[in-house]
Parts: sequence; structure tokens; C-alpha cells
Amino acid sequence: MTTRPVPHGLRSLATAGALAAVFVATAAAQDHPQDPRLGRLDAGARSLVAVVIDSARAAGLPTEPLVQRALEGATKGAPGSLIVSAVQRLAADLGRARAALGAGATPPELEAGAAALRAGAGTPVLAQLRRSRRQTITVPLAVLTDLVASGVPVDSAAAAVLALAAGTRDADLIDFRRAVERDIALGAAPTAATAAAAAGLQSTDATHVNAGARDARPGRP
Amino acid sequence: MRAPAAQTTGTVDVGLSTVRYDGFLASGAASMTPGVRWERPNGAVTARGTYLRFESGHRSLQGSVAGSFFTPAARRWRGEFSAAAGASRYVEFASFWHAVGEARLHIIEAERGAWISGTAGRASYGAAPRGVLAASAGAWLRRAALTLRVSASLSRVGDTSYTDVESSAHAGWGQVTLDATLGGRVWSRGGGRGMYGETSAALALGERMALLLSGGRYPTDPISGSIAARYFAAAIRIHTAAPRHTISRDRTAPRGAGADGAGTSTSARLEVQVDRSRPVRLVVHVADAIRVEVAGDFTDWQPLALSRAGGGIWEVVLPITSGVHRIDVRIDGAAWIVPAGATRAPDDYGGDVGIFVVP
Repeated sequence: MTTRPVPHGLRSLATAGALAAVFVATAAAQDHPQDPRLGRLDAGARSLVAVVIDSARAAGLPTEPLVQRALEGATKGAPGSLIVSAVQRLAADLGRARAALGAGATPPELEAGAAALRAGAGTPVLAQLRRSRRQTITVPLAVLTDLVASGVPVDSAAAAVLALAAGTRDADLIDFRRAVERDIALGAAPTAATAAAAAGLQSTDATHVNAGARDARPGRP
Repeated sequence: MRAPAAQTTGTVDVGLSTVRYDGFLASGAASMTPGVRWERPNGAVTARGTYLRFESGHRSLQGSVAGSFFTPAARRWRGEFSAAAGASRYVEFASFWHAVGEARLHIIEAERGAWISGTAGRASYGAAPRGVLAASAGAWLRRAALTLRVSASLSRVGDTSYTDVESSAHAGWGQVTLDATLGGRVWSRGGGRGMYGETSAALALGERMALLLSGGRYPTDPISGSIAARYFAAAIRIHTAAPRHTISRDRTAPRGAGADGAGTSTSARLEVQVDRSRPVRLVVHVADAIRVEVAGDFTDWQPLALSRAGGGIWEVVLPITSGVHRIDVRIDGAAWIVPAGATRAPDDYGGDVGIFVVP
């Protein structure tokens, strides 16, 4: 295999870009002294986590979730390398969430979006949720993540939440999530529990009251 | 991305039946009924066709397509628009067609609801089309696996008018689904009167096959052109495709202890009490403990001791912001655990963490 030489101009551009990123991160670090709460990390992990946080801040991402993820690792006695990679992953997820939800997304929405992405929801689902609902989508995203964590296949969970998000209040979404949890605890399959709970909110054909249900009698000659 | 909410299923029913139309002798018939259903959470479209071959050698062909779509909910209210069209033909001398549209207004609670509706359209019995007008009202109630429904309708097709009162039940237990309808045509001008009732059972014989048994008496339907009859039918239903949304994936929240020793907790149960005008109250139910602590992203992951409220209840009131939060619980200085009542998710550190939402 041969490698194509990189044109000199492009190399210069890349070098300039890297320098600019370092400059921005450094400048941001000077504006925002290191969070004293990170003192609970060992020195090596602390400096690397600080770099990730400064980069996130420079990129306009919320930094508090990153601090909390690092502190969680410290409380749980995780090795420094694991803490750094966890914080890096979360920063990347927050970036992907913002790309899907738009620059106007609030920090709680981004955090919920990052969790949904980690659970397996695709960025198109996040973008669709954003379009489908005028109010904040923090709770719909959280419910989506919850459902997947409860064993509901991500496609089914996304379908249910997308269908409900536009016209359902946050409190009703949380009730919906509780109904699913209750039914699963009682032995229902997660997908069936989700469908039944969504039907309860939506009155779809599962309730046998839709106008087409009367045509469904099997076997009638 | 594929449409996440859409699902298309196809079925073919192949069976035998015996039927006695009012005014005719009983006859056996073999039937084949292909059907396809396209479903989204806010509605569905169903198309079916039936080919019947009677003992006499005569044939009947029927086909119908029906679609029903719900509007987004406005509080407890929800609109539904549906349309149905169909045609049938028996030998060379009897043919029907109909096309109707219906609007329904539903009021919906979690386990019960009611609706009113209006229907308009056209129907034809081998002659000039006649106008169809109908109004109906109904209510439904769901209890566990059982759904009950009652309805009353007043219909007018040309100069034929009739009023039906109907109740139905639908229940599913494991592999068995039961449906039953009992009704009466309590008033009629040209549409016949009397009681009718049908029942059907479906027994799943694996993922793609089911045994269907059905029978009873149904009334003349001047809209679709069906004549009152008694029947019994047995059929095998073959699903051409498994429902797509039931494709399972591995759980993303594996059970078991992690690096921090976090494990499943049945001894601690979290309750999050939210009142918009007040701070959040975290309540942990623990049967027997001397000290209960929580740690989460709302305590900077520093252990926070809860106050004993008596009766196995431990609590703390905190100004927790709206959003998704992570929490673990520790009882009497033992390992951090995920309390019941919180969603369990991987914590990035080889263990699990509890997640809860503050709206």
C-alpha cells in the first residue's frame, strides 16, 4: 500500500488548527481555573480530565456533567485511566447530542441526550424528538433511556416515545414509564409492556375501540 | 433511519366453514383470506381479501381496505379519522361496494375511555349508490388482560334505518386470544331485527402460525352488503412476517456486581417526591438499618447521610435540578448499591448506577 503525501499547505493548515485548539483550551483554562472538586482525583487523572473539561468548555458544551462523571469514578475508587476515558466518552456523547439537538439545546437536554445515545438511540431519533416537541425534551429523552435500560428494544422504545412526545405532558410520560416498569415487574415482556402502556395513553387499536376494529373479525364467511 | 414506529405484517388465513345465510340452505365453504396491516403508533391501515368457494361450486369474492389515524392528544381528548372501502361479488348476480369516512372524538383515561362518532359515505347494491349516514357512541374499560366495550349506533343507508346496541370483550392470556360480541338490532326499518353474537379464539402455534376458531350469528349489514348468517369456521393463520418491532437486543443494563461492588438491591427502594414549588424529597425505604447514605451527581458524589423518619423510611430534601440524575445508596457502610425504584444503567466503571428523572 502506498500513502499519498499530504500537500504542504494542508499540513500547515492542520498544524495551525492544532495550535489554535491548544491556544483556545489554554485560554479557556486561564479564564476558568481548575475546579477544586477535581482535587479528589490523582494528579495524573486530574490534569487529563481538566484538559477534557477545558476543551468541552471551549466547544460550548456543559462541563458539570463531566465533573460529576469524574467524581463518580473517584467515589467508586475507579483507576485514573478509567475515569479519564469515561469523561472523554461523555464529552464525545455530549458533542453528538448537541449536533443532533441543535445549538439551542439546554445542558439538561444535552445530558439526557448523551445518555440516550449511550443507551443505543441514534442521533436521528434525537433530532426527530427535537422537531416533534416544542417544550423541553429532557424528560422524553430520559424516559427513552429508562425504557432501554429496562430491556425494551431501542427501536420500540424510540417509537413509543416519539409517538407520545408531541402531545404528552412530562408528568404523563413519567407515569407511562412507571406503567411499563410495573408491567415488566409483573412479568410482561418489555416490548409488550411498552406497547400496552403507550396504548393506554394513545387509545390506539390495542384498545379495540378504533373505527377499523369491527372489520377484523376472523373467519367470518 | 428506518421509520421506527412503522410495522407491516401480512397474514393468510386458510380454512373451512359452514354457513347458513338467512333464507338459504346451509353450505360448506373453503376460504382463503390474505391480509396486510401497516401500523404506526398513531394509526393503522388494513387491507383484506376473501375468496370463498361453496359446496355448490359457486364463488364469492370480497375485498376491503380500512385506515384509521389518531390526532395527537389534547389533554384527555383525541380525534380519530378513518376511512373504509370494500366490494364483494357473489357468482355473477350480486355485487356490492361501499366507501365511508368516519370521525371520532375520544376521551381517554389510562384504563377507560369513551367516544362519539359520525359516519358518512356511499354504498351500492348493484344499482344507484345510496347515501350512508351513521352516528355512534361507546365506552370501553380495560382491566389487566381484559377489555370490555359497549356501543350504540344509529345507521341509515338509503331508506333503510336501524339501531344496534353492542357489547364486546377482548382478552389475551399467553398464546390464547379471545374475542366475543353480543348485540341486538333493537329498532329497524328495512334492516331486520334480533339478537346476534359472535366469538372467536386464536391459539398461537409458534411465532408465525395460529389456529383460529370462530362462530356465531352476525346481522345484515346494509353498508357492506353482508347478509345475516350463522356460521362456524376453523382456519390456520400464517404470518408472512414476524412483527419487526419485537426484534430483541441485548439488555444494556447487565445485572451483577461491578468493580465497586454495586449489586442488585432488594433491600433499599428509592422514591423521588417532586413538587414543583419545593425542593426534591428523596425517600429510601430500608427494612432494617443503622445508617443510610446516598451519593449522586446532586451531592458531588460525596456520601450524604439520610435522616431516619421511622418505619423503615430514610429521607433528605435537596434542591435537585430538573433533568436526569445518577444515584447510589449505601446501607450501614457496606458497598454502594443501586436502589430499587431507580433505573439501573452501566456506570462506565464496570458496575451499575441508578438513574432517576426530575421533571
